[in-house]
Amino acid sequence: MKPPAFKYVAAGSVEEATARLAEYGDDARPIAGGQSLVPMMNFRLVSPAVLVDIRRIAPPDAIEEADGHVRVGALTRHRALETSPLVRERFPVLAAAMGHVAHLAIRNRGTIGGSLCHADPAAELPALAVLLDARIHTASCSGERIVEAGSFFEGALWTALEDGEIVTRIDFPLLRPGTGWGFREFARRHGDFALAGAAATVTGSAGRAVEVRIALFGVGETPVRATAAEALLTGTGLEPDAVAAAVDALRNAIDPDDDLHASAEYRRHLAGVMAERALGDAWARVGAGAGGGAA
Amino acid sequence: MSKNTPAGMAEAPRPGIVGARVQRREDPRLLTGRGSYTDDRKAAGAVHVAFCRSDRAHARIAGIDIAEAQQAPGVLGVFTAADIDAVARPIRATSNMPDYRATEFVPLARGKVRHVGEPVAAVVAENRYLAEDAAALVSVDYDPLPDAADPEAALEDRVLLHEEAGTNLIAAREFARGDVDAVMADAALVVEDRFRIRRKTPAAIENRCYLAEFDAGRQALTLHGTTQVPGLLRDALAEIFDLPGHRLRVVAPDVGGGFGAKASLYPEEVVVCALAMRLGRPVKWTGDRMEDLTATSQAFDEIVRAKLAFDADGRFLALEADVIGDIGAYSIYPWTASLEPVQVVSFLPGPYRIANYRGRVRAVATSKAPTGPYRGVGRPVSTFVMERLVDMAARRLDMDPAELRVRNLVRDEEFPYKSGSGIVWDRAGFQDCLRVTLDRFGYAERRAEQAAARERGRLVGIGIASYAELTGIGSRISAAPGMPINTGTERATIEIDSTGAVTAAFGIASHGQGLETTLAQIVAEELGVRVEDVGIVHGDSAAVAHSTGTYASRSTVLAGGAATLSARSLRAQVVKAASHLLEAAETDIEMRDGVVSVAGTDASITLRELARAFYTEMRRIPKEARESLDLSASATYDPFFGTTTAATHIAEVEIDPQTFGVAVRRYVVAEDCGRIVNPMIVDGQVHGGVAQGIGAALLEEVVHDDSGQLLTGSFVDYVVPSAAEIPDIDAAHLDTESPSTLGGYRGMGEGGTIGAPAAVANAVADALSGMDIQINELPVTPERLFRLIRPDL
Repeated sequence: MKPPAFKYVAAGSVEEATARLAEYGDDARPIAGGQSLVPMMNFRLVSPAVLVDIRRIAPPDAIEEADGHVRVGALTRHRALETSPLVRERFPVLAAAMGHVAHLAIRNRGTIGGSLCHADPAAELPALAVLLDARIHTASCSGERIVEAGSFFEGALWTALEDGEIVTRIDFPLLRPGTGWGFREFARRHGDFALAGAAATVTGSAGRAVEVRIALFGVGETPVRATAAEALLTGTGLEPDAVAAAVDALRNAIDPDDDLHASAEYRRHLAGVMAERALGDAWARVGAGAGGGAA
Repeated sequence: MSKNTPAGMAEAPRPGIVGARVQRREDPRLLTGRGSYTDDRKAAGAVHVAFCRSDRAHARIAGIDIAEAQQAPGVLGVFTAADIDAVARPIRATSNMPDYRATEFVPLARGKVRHVGEPVAAVVAENRYLAEDAAALVSVDYDPLPDAADPEAALEDRVLLHEEAGTNLIAAREFARGDVDAVMADAALVVEDRFRIRRKTPAAIENRCYLAEFDAGRQALTLHGTTQVPGLLRDALAEIFDLPGHRLRVVAPDVGGGFGAKASLYPEEVVVCALAMRLGRPVKWTGDRMEDLTATSQAFDEIVRAKLAFDADGRFLALEADVIGDIGAYSIYPWTASLEPVQVVSFLPGPYRIANYRGRVRAVATSKAPTGPYRGVGRPVSTFVMERLVDMAARRLDMDPAELRVRNLVRDEEFPYKSGSGIVWDRAGFQDCLRVTLDRFGYAERRAEQAAARERGRLVGIGIASYAELTGIGSRISAAPGMPINTGTERATIEIDSTGAVTAAFGIASHGQGLETTLAQIVAEELGVRVEDVGIVHGDSAAVAHSTGTYASRSTVLAGGAATLSARSLRAQVVKAASHLLEAAETDIEMRDGVVSVAGTDASITLRELARAFYTEMRRIPKEARESLDLSASATYDPFFGTTTAATHIAEVEIDPQTFGVAVRRYVVAEDCGRIVNPMIVDGQVHGGVAQGIGAALLEEVVHDDSGQLLTGSFVDYVVPSAAEIPDIDAAHLDTESPSTLGGYRGMGEGGTIGAPAAVANAVADALSGMDIQINELPVTPERLFRLIRPDL
C-alpha cells in the first residue's frame, strides 16, 4: 500500500496552480487535504505522475458574507465550515451536515473544494451544495467560470470540471426568512459514508410551505434533488398524507445501487425514511421560527 | 460479592498485591508512542519484501514471469516456491484425531493457488516502495480452476482444493452421550433451526510484521515479529531450517493485539527467514491492512443445524447439532483446521445440565483465507447457537428466559459436572453469574420498562447469554484436538542479580493484555517485594527453555503458576542467605517490600545489600553455604486439566423500526474468573472482548463473492465497531477461587467475545418477538433485518 513515485510541485497562487496543471496535463492531479486522493494513490487506484499542491494558495479558508451569499474558499477545511459562526447562523443545515463527515481528524484536513471535486455520491457536502443551489467557482488557464451545483456532479467521482480546472470558491445563496431545515443520514457506524441520507429546507408562510428543497445522497451516481417530491409538498402544510405521497414519489425517482452494505431496495426504503425525518425536522423548525437566514 | 471497585486497595498495596488495581506499567510507553514494535526496529542494511499475491481464488499456476520485476530499480531478487522450498523443509499441522487429513503448509504457492491473497512470489528491494513497484511487474499466468468457495458445495468433493487429500473434508468428529434419537422422538417439545455465523477477521490494530536477521559469523537466525507464540515459532522454525535452538531466536517486541491471529506459523515468517539467510541481509516485511484482511487467519464461518428437546417444565432433555465449518484453504500450523469447528461441538452443551447429546462436525476446505484461532475459539458460535435455542425454548414455554436458565444451569452441588461432550466443569458460579447479572441489570425493572416502551411502539429487547469455557488448560488436554504439541505447561525463571534487582523471565508474550503488570504483581506478592521492583521479560524464545506463548486464556494461570512456584523457591533461598547474614533462624526471617528482616527485631537488610553480600562480598556467607544457595529459581507449572470460567451477559438493544439500525443501550457482565490479579485489567479485558463480540453480532463480516473473490479488502467494507457503537459496560467479578489451579486463577481473556454475540442476538430477537421471524444468522445487519421484516420487498 505504497504509491508509485510521483513528482511534487507546490503552487503559490491560482495562476501558478492552473499553469502547472496545464503544463503537466493528464499526468497531474491537484492535491489539497489529500483525504481521498492519498488513500487512492496508496491502493494504486490512481497514479498521478505529478501532484500540484494547492494548499498554499491564499486566502486559504475565507468564509464571508457578500452580495446575498456566503462565500467559502475552496481550501476551507470541513471543520472550519462546521464551526464557523457565520455558517451556523446562515446555514445551520450545512454546519450540522459537516458534523457527519467522517471523523474529526479527517474534517481537520479535508477541504470542501476537495470533497466537491472528489464527488463521492454518498458524501454530505455535494448533497448540501445541490440542496442549497450553491454556485461553484472554477479557474483554469482558459479563465474562470461558475458552475451551478445542480449541473456540477455528472457521475460517481465525476464532475463538470474540465482538464486543468480547479475549484476556487463556493457561493451559497442566502436562505429566505422563515426557512427551517433538516439533515438525516443513516450509516452503519458513526462517521461512515451514509447508506442513504437526506437534507431538506422548507420555507413556510402562514402555515404553508412556500418552498421545499430536498437533496438525497447515497442513492445513485450523484446527489439528487427530489424535484417531484418538492413539487408535491409546495403549498401544503406537510400533512402526513402529503409527506407520504412525496416520499413515494422520491423513492420512485431514484435508482440506487446494490453494494456490500445495502441492497438497492433497502437504500430506496432508507432514502424515504431519511427524507421524511428531515422534512419533519425542517417543518418543526419553521414552526419554531428557527429558520436559517431569517435574521 | 463484586470486587469491581475495591476502594483503597491501590493506596495499600500490601497485604494483597494480587487483587489490587495496579496501573498498567506498559501503558505510559504504549500510549505515548514510545513502544517498540517490530516495524520500529532498525536493522542496518535491511531490505524489504513485497509479496505478489494471488488475485484468483482457485487456479493453477501455468507460469510466473519475473524477468521484468528482477530488472526493476532497487530490486535484489524475486523469489518463488522453488527458492524457498530449497531451504525450508516441509511442515504440516498434524493431529492424532481420527478422520483428520493433514495438508501441506505452503510458504509460496506451489503449482496452484487456493485463495485470494495467497503469496505467490516475494520481491525483495531496497525499500517497500520499490518492492511494490516491482511486484506489480511480476506476471503470473493462471489457468482458472472451478469455484470452491461454498462450504456445503465443497463437501460434495466435485472440486478438490488439496488433490492429495482426496477430499475437501479435512476433519470430522462426533460426540455422543445417551440415546438422543429416542429422547428427541419422545420429547413433548423441541425447538430447532439452522444457524449461521459469518466469517470474521480478528483485525488487530498492528498488522503483521516480521524482520529476520541472519548472523553469518555465528550462523544464527533471529526473527523479530508480531507473534503471540515466540517459543512455538522457534520450535517450528528449528524444524524447518534444521537449526538448534541456540542459533535460532524468536522475539515478539511490543505487539499491537493478536486475538489469536498472531498465534500461528505464517508463510511470510518462513519466507523472510529463508531470504535473510540467502541474501545475507536483514529482511523485513511489514504487512499492510489489505494484506491483513486477505491473508491473516480468519474466524468462525460455521453453519449449525441444532435441536433442543425439553419437557413441559422446561427441563432440557437432549441436544443435537450438525456443524459444517468452513476452514478456508489450509490447515493452519500447529492448531489444524479442526481447532475452531470441533470446539463448537465440544462446547455446545454449555453450562447446562443435558443428559443426552450428539454433536457432529465436518471441517471443509474452501478457497478462502485459512481460519485459525480467534478470541473465544468455537465458543462464540456454540454459545450463540445454544443461547438462541434456550430463548426459543423459553418462548415456546411462555417462560421467562432467565427462569429457564435457572432451571437448567448446573447447580453448585452438582460440580464436578461432566458435559455431554466429555468436558468436566470443575466448579464455577454458573448460577451465581446469572443471579448477579440479573441483579446488576435490574432485570425486573428493565422488563417493566421494556413492556411500557413496546406499548409506545418501540422495539426494545433484552437478551441473556450464559456460557462456560475451559481456561488455563494443562498437559492432560491439548489446546487443539489431537495436536502433538504440549500446550499444557509454562516456565518461569526469576533471578536476583548483583544489583539486587529482581527479573522474572517468561516465554509467554503480552500483546495488549497487561501481563507485564499482572505477572509482576504475582511475583511481588509471592517474593515479598514491591511491584515496581520486579522486571518482566517476556516474548522471547531465549528467555526460557520451553514455552508456547499466549493464547487460549492461559497466561495468567500457567505463567502465573510458574511465577508462583519459582518465586516461592527463590524466596526460600533468600531466607537462607539472610539467616546467615542476619544470624537468625530461617523461621524468623521475614521479607516485605524488598526488605528482609528478623521478626521482632530491628535487624534487617535490603535485597540490594543481600545481593552484594551474596555475589561480591565473598566472606559474608561461608563458601559451602554460598555454593548450596542460588539467587535464581526456575519452575514449570502444569495445571493438568485446567479450570472452568463462566459468565452471564445481558444486553439491552433498541431497533429503529424504520431504518432497522440496532443500538446496544445497556450491557452487564458477571464473570467468574477466579482469584483476580488486577480488577482494572480484568475490566479492560471484558470491555474489549464485549466490543469485539458486539462487532461479531452487528457489524463484522468477511464477504466473498460466489467465486471466492474477497469483497472486504479495506476497513471501508470490513466494518469493526468504534467507540460510538459500544455502550458503557458494567462488569461484575465473582470472587470464587478456582479449586484446580495454583493461586486459584482462572483465564478470562476471551469471555467477552464469547458471550456478547449470543446476548445481542437474543436481545434483537426479543425486540422483534412480536413478529414472525427468526434471528439465526450473525451479523444481524440492517440489511438482513430489512429482508427479514419486509419480506414483501
